[in-house]
Parts: sequence; C-alpha cells; structure tokens
Amino acid sequence: MHPANTVVSPAAPAPARRRLGVQHLVIAFPVLSLTFASIGAVLGETFYLRLATEALILAGLALSVDILLGYTGLLSLGQALYFGLGAYTAAYLLGQGAVGFWGALLSSLALATPVALLAGLVAIRSKGVYFILITFGLAQVAAKTIYNTRELGGSDGLVGVPVLQADFGLFRVDLGSPVEFFLLMLALIMGLYLGLNYLMHTPFGRTLVAIRSNEHRVRFLGFDPWRYKLAAYAVAANVAALSGAMYPMLRGFVSPELLYFKMSADAVITVIFGGVGTLIGPIYGSVALVGLRTVLGSWTEHYHMIIGALFMLAVIFMPRGIAGLFERKESGPAQDEAERT
Amino acid sequence: MNAPAAILEVENLRVSFGGLKAVNDVSFSVQRGSVTSVIGPNGAGKSTLFNLICGAIAPDHGRVRLKGNDVTGWPPNRIARAGLARSFQITNLFFDLPVEENLRLAAQALEPSGKLLRPKRHSQRANAKVRELLERFELSHKAGELAGYLSHGEQRRLEIAVALAGEPELLLLDEPTQGMSHGDTADTSRMIRELARDITVLLIEHDIELVMGLSHWVVVMHQGQKLSEGPPEQVRADPAVRKAYLGEA
Amino acid sequence: MARRPSVRTPASASDDTLRLAPGTSGGAARRETVMTVAIEYLQFVLAPQMLNGLTIGVAVVLVALGLSIIFGLLDVVNMAHGEFYALGAFISMSLYSLGVSFWLALVLVPPIVIPIGFLIERGLIQRVYQHDQRHVLTLLLTVGLSIIMEDAFDLIYGPNTMRPENPLPGSTEFLGVILPNYRLFLLAVGVATILATWLVIYRTRLGAMIRAAAFDKHMTASLGVPVLRVYAGTFAFGVALAGFAGVLLAPIYSVFPTMGHDFVLLAFTAVIVGGIGSFYGAVIAGLLLAQIQAISSLYIPPYWSDPLLFAIMVAVLVVRPQGLFNWMGKG
Repeated sequence: MHPANTVVSPAAPAPARRRLGVQHLVIAFPVLSLTFASIGAVLGETFYLRLATEALILAGLALSVDILLGYTGLLSLGQALYFGLGAYTAAYLLGQGAVGFWGALLSSLALATPVALLAGLVAIRSKGVYFILITFGLAQVAAKTIYNTRELGGSDGLVGVPVLQADFGLFRVDLGSPVEFFLLMLALIMGLYLGLNYLMHTPFGRTLVAIRSNEHRVRFLGFDPWRYKLAAYAVAANVAALSGAMYPMLRGFVSPELLYFKMSADAVITVIFGGVGTLIGPIYGSVALVGLRTVLGSWTEHYHMIIGALFMLAVIFMPRGIAGLFERKESGPAQDEAERT
Repeated sequence: MNAPAAILEVENLRVSFGGLKAVNDVSFSVQRGSVTSVIGPNGAGKSTLFNLICGAIAPDHGRVRLKGNDVTGWPPNRIARAGLARSFQITNLFFDLPVEENLRLAAQALEPSGKLLRPKRHSQRANAKVRELLERFELSHKAGELAGYLSHGEQRRLEIAVALAGEPELLLLDEPTQGMSHGDTADTSRMIRELARDITVLLIEHDIELVMGLSHWVVVMHQGQKLSEGPPEQVRADPAVRKAYLGEA
Repeated sequence: MARRPSVRTPASASDDTLRLAPGTSGGAARRETVMTVAIEYLQFVLAPQMLNGLTIGVAVVLVALGLSIIFGLLDVVNMAHGEFYALGAFISMSLYSLGVSFWLALVLVPPIVIPIGFLIERGLIQRVYQHDQRHVLTLLLTVGLSIIMEDAFDLIYGPNTMRPENPLPGSTEFLGVILPNYRLFLLAVGVATILATWLVIYRTRLGAMIRAAAFDKHMTASLGVPVLRVYAGTFAFGVALAGFAGVLLAPIYSVFPTMGHDFVLLAFTAVIVGGIGSFYGAVIAGLLLAQIQAISSLYIPPYWSDPLLFAIMVAVLVVRPQGLFNWMGKG
C-alpha cells in the first residue's frame, strides 16, 4: 500500500542538500514583511499597511484551520465561530472600556476554551463528514444568533472600539500607528507559528498526525484519539479567538459577517493555496488571498467568483499549495503519478 | 482453569453480528510465558476473538481478564496501557509516516504523559526502544523510509515491532506470517520463540507446522466455538480437529 | 370573548397569509368551553401552520433527498447543493421573463439543471476521485463551486430580491380551515416527486445500477455499467431535485443570490438527523424538522428556530451519532 500524495499528507522534511526548502519560506516571511514595513514607514503609507495587518490577522485563522486539517485530519468549516467570538469579546469589552489590550486578549481566550470544549464534545464524537457539517452548522447558528441580538449590535455589529496602547513593560506599541500595529501582528503571527510548529513536533503533535494517518491503530498503541482531537480542537479555537481579538483593534468594529461561512471557507482556501500541514503555507496563503482580493477587487465587484475558480483549480492541480513547491520531492511512483494528477 | 500463572482468561465469550454468532461461548486461559496458538478454518471466529480480547469490540456476554483484572468492555487504549499489544492480519501501519516514527509512536507509551509536550529528543527511553527494535528487526537501514514503501515482508516485521514497542506483557499476533516467504516465515518463527522468553504470546496462525513447532498450547476454533485445546500433539491427533480441517480443505 | 389568534409564518408571502375564514369574528358573546377554544385553536392556528410545515417539509425533503442521494451513492458532500436549489429558482425567473408560464417552467427547469450538474460532476468533481482524501477534496471542490455560483447569481441577476407571482392564488376551505391553494399544490407535487424518486431508485434497473455502482464500483464497471456516467447522472439527478424545489418555493420564499445558504442548512440538518445516505431518514427528518420549525414559530421568535433545530440535531447525534437511520443500500 503506497501513501498517496494528497492534500493532507504530512510534508516530508526537506533534506539539507535541496536548494529551497520549507524552512527558507519560514525565514523569508519575516524578512519580506520587515522590508515591506520599512518601505511603508518611509512612504508614510497607511492603507496597505493596514491591509497587510488584516492579512496577518486572517493568517491566524488560517493557522487554526491548518492545525485541524493539516495535522489532525479534521476539516472544520466553522473556525470563524471562534474568530468571531474572540472579535466580539474584545470589541465588547474594549468598547465598554472594561479592559485594555491584554485584558481583551485574555478574555477572548477565556471564552474560546470552554466553548470549544463544549462544541468539541459533540462535534468530535461524530465521524468525518458529520464533524464537518456540525462545525459548519455551529458557525451559522452562532452568526444568526448574533445577527439577531440587539445587545451585540445586531446586523450592524459593534462599533466604537478605541485605539489602544499595548503595554509590554519595557516599551509600548501604539496600535494607532499602522507600522507599529503591523510589526506587533507580525511578531504575534511568527510567535504563533513557532509555538505551533514546536507543538506539532512534540509527541503530542506527532500523535495528532498519527491519528490522521491511521486513527484505528492509534488506539491499540494506548492513545485515546478523542482526547487528542479535542485538545487539538481547543488549541485551534484559541488560536482563532486570539486572532479574532486583534480584528476590532485594527478596524474599530466587528460585525456578524466575521462568523459567516465565507470567513471559514476563505480560511480553508488560504490553507489549500498555501500548503496544508505546513503552518507557514497558510500564512503565505492569507497574504496571497488578501492580495488577490485587493487586486481583483479593483477590477470587478465579483472577484469572489474568480477566487472560487482559482481555488477549485488549486484543489485539482496543486493540492500541496505554495509550500508544496518547496517541499522535497520523494522518489517513488506514487509521488510522480499524483503530481501529474 | 484458574491457575495464578494465567495472564489472560477468557470466560464464556459470546458476540453476534446480525444473526451470526461469531464467537459462541468460548473459554480458555493463557499461561504466562507461554506461546499459545489459536487455529481453525477460515471464518472460525479467531480474529473476532482477538478483537474481543483487545477491546476493539465489546462482547454480548462473557468476561475477559487480563492479569487478574476484569477488562471486559474496556476501550482498546486502556487495555493497551494495561500491558496488551496486538498486531494485525492485514498490515495496519502508519503508511505515510517513516518506519522509525511508527515505532516511536508505539514506544511513547513507555514515557510519562508529561513528556508529550516536550521535544521528542527528551523521550530517551522511547528513543532507545526505537533504536533497539530497528536493530532487532533488521530495519535500521529503512528507518527514514515511509512505511508504505517497504516490502511486504518488511512491513510484516514492522507490524510486529510496533506491537512490541510498548513493552507489552501479552502480545497478540494475528497471522504474523501472512503472505511471507519461506525464509521470512522461518525467521519469524525463530523470533517468536525468542520473544516468548520475556513475554507471553497468543498467536493466530494458518501455518500448522509453524504452530506445532512453536506452541506450548493450542486452542482450536470452529464456527465460533472452541472445538478442542491442549498441547500441540494432542490437538493434532484429535479426530474432531481433523474432521474440521479436512472438511474445510 | 372571541379570541382572534394571530398567525405567524416563518416567511409570510403577502397573498399567502393564512387568514381567518370570514364570519367567525363576532362581538356576540359566546359561552366558551375548553373544547371550543381548543378546536378554534386547531382550526385557525395549528392546522394552517401544520400545513405550512408540511409543504415546506416536502420541499426540504426534496432538497435533502438530493443531498443524501449524492452523498450516499457518490460519497460526495455537495456544499453547493443550496446553490443548485437557487439555480432552479433563478432559471425559472429567466423563463418567466421570457413569457414562459409557471407550469411550463416547472417542467423545463429540471432538464436544464441536469446537464449542468452532469458536466460539473464529470468534468470537475470526478477529477479528484482517485485521491486518497477524496472526501475532503470533493467537499472543497463543491465549496469552491458554491462560491462561484453565488457570485455568478449576483453578477447575472443582481443582488435584489425577486418574487414570482403566485400561480395558484386563492384558497380552499376544509373543515373550517383555510388552506392556500398553492401550498396544497406544492404538497401534491412534492409528494408525487418523492414517490417517483423512490420508485426510480428502488424499483428500476437504473436505480439498481446506481446502487450497485455505489456499493462496488469496480465490480459494477466490469459488468459493463458505465460507472462514471452513472455517477455524473446521479449527481445531476440530485441537484435537479434541489433545483425543482427551488422553482416550487420561489413564489413563497422569493429569489435572491444568497437564498441557497439559508435553506440548505435545514436540508443539511435533515440529512444529518436522518442519517447520511438514508432515503427514509431524509424524508422523515425533513418532514419532522420542517414541522417543528413551523409550529415552534408560533411560540418563539423566528430567528430562534435555527438554533432550536441545531439543538435538536445535536441531541440526536449525542444519542445516535450516525443519525436515525442507516445507509441507503440497507435503508
């Protein structure tokens, strides 16, 4: 039995001798981003810096999808639920003046975990397709509920989120400054990447990969797949909520659209574009998506159609995404055949 | 049949699928340190019996006792942690993971759960186990290879190695020599004999010669029921057993 | 003290509002017994709403059946199913603007949707069938498809809501209950279609081929059955059912680009509760859930019906994680 080269197979480690590997992508990203930020700062640019910051925020949501899809083998079509939860929590508390930067983040996380455990309790018991549909349904229901709740702003959402200062003790970051916010978000995303990458290489993370590879066998090795999946789901929810909390800080408002299927689907799209199971791929994917949207959006209102088409093409012809181009090519008939689709 | 040296006791196990009684009132015990074989024609219920013992399915009736503890109805991961490991008739590896990762996953059970969140290199006991098994099963040169790319014989070896990685006290081997060449079969037989020095082996096999040469005790199953049991020569001479097999041939 | 109950329907169409039969209002004092109140309630509140639930339920069943058929027989989760439902409605709008009557549109829409579905399945979705992870990939493909279709509707028809005229205005009285004619018609057509579908799948050679192909594709192929075409045809049939439901419901629910999303959640819920791939599950769950939605709308605000249905789905899954029924083959 040969392993097929598929969307969700784990990336083989790149050997030292190959010229370009995934690790180069990891280094390239902050380098490119810092270059971008410097140029932006010099030019006194705000729009594109803020757009780039939004791309980074969405990258966090993409990471959350990748943890589940690329490592645990679970496709969640409702991660926007936690993103939205984090966003609304932060927006609400910040709008009330009840918390500052750290309070907003911590509150979002504090809400995400119990919700994820509760949701996970039902969702994870369910096999394959049911899980997907339940996560889809959960986000839809939450979106509708928020849409119809006046206290949460209804269809208009919450506005009036103040501009914050993030106090790091030794220094302060002014979130009103596009450059500073961008740098903060860059640091946050790279930090998330490094943390998640570490986690996925620990025995815990490798067990997740094993569950995706052969859940049946994992049981006989002494692991309870359910617990691991639930833990992964909770981690992913926290990552999504954390990213979501940053959104109102950037845009000053939140709306129910943050929980819509479009949001969850876009996140999945960026993961496929970028490369499932690589963590760095989805980050690039998010940037690519926001870039595409901006460029295409300036030509036509109906850019979503084009993105949908590109997505379908990517699924058919390039299932390993951008990062897939940087991965080691394995010897073996299965690889070449799959590559040819 | 309640000798203190019994590591596994199966009492009146029964399970049905639809209307079919796959395992029908089977009882026997396995002595510590022995090699016990379960044989029988196809469809006799041997694999189902294994599934019942290791927790993959729950019996409709009856008990399973491991080391004196009642493990009936326990989930497979709990029974595995209690010292039981099994290999599968149809190779059941992590095909898209490297050989050493397959072993490392199984060996992780040796480590306390705190090690789960620390880098892999900190799980020294597990890592040592992996190296030991790679050598013992002659798979060192294939350590980094994806399990799916191994030859059939190598995969069957890895299948057993993975089962051993958790240092079980009782090892269930489901047709370990399935599809193997003569040479491989002889090697496997030798290996099982070596294993039996440290652990107890419960074996399902089709190869009667292998079974006779290897086992201390043989249990014969037929149509879900225990037909006969005893030392190999006794079972071989049992007319009921001959009838079941000759009828099958 | 005659009571005049107010009736709330989930999406009240203006000329379809269930009204009280004239002559029952009265200033005349009446000796009220519990019986009278109960019967009145039944007549004017519950029964109309139950009919409501039944007719919507039948449409939900049509959509859910399509979904369940596609999943049960093709192993594909069609996330674009709602968009095919919308497609049927939009095509009917185009036909109406060409002067085609409702009745003709009803007949024409399925044959238009079928080749579209066939080509999409054959040309796009089948490309990933060989992959190990075909479940995820096919699902993702249909997600992309749904994005494209929804935007295409917006592009071609604009974002505004359209509503075709009620082709069967008026109502019939039955046992003192006022029943809108169009809803009765919908009910009749829906039930007929469901029965016809059942017949095709379980009583025809075509249906046997489809079920065989679902069960064992290689064996069926070696028996000379053009498996890939059967798959594409099945997909086409499933989405045509959805499109047909779209035409039927357009006069009630209106037509707009995102109409697929709202309706399909109910269908998905029905499929999950009924058990993916189960014919009877889709029928029973579809009718049940629509009925629950209709009756509950009398007591709770409409936007709580989604969470309610979802809660029911969760409850069912907790007790029976695979849904109420089993696979279509054995269903």
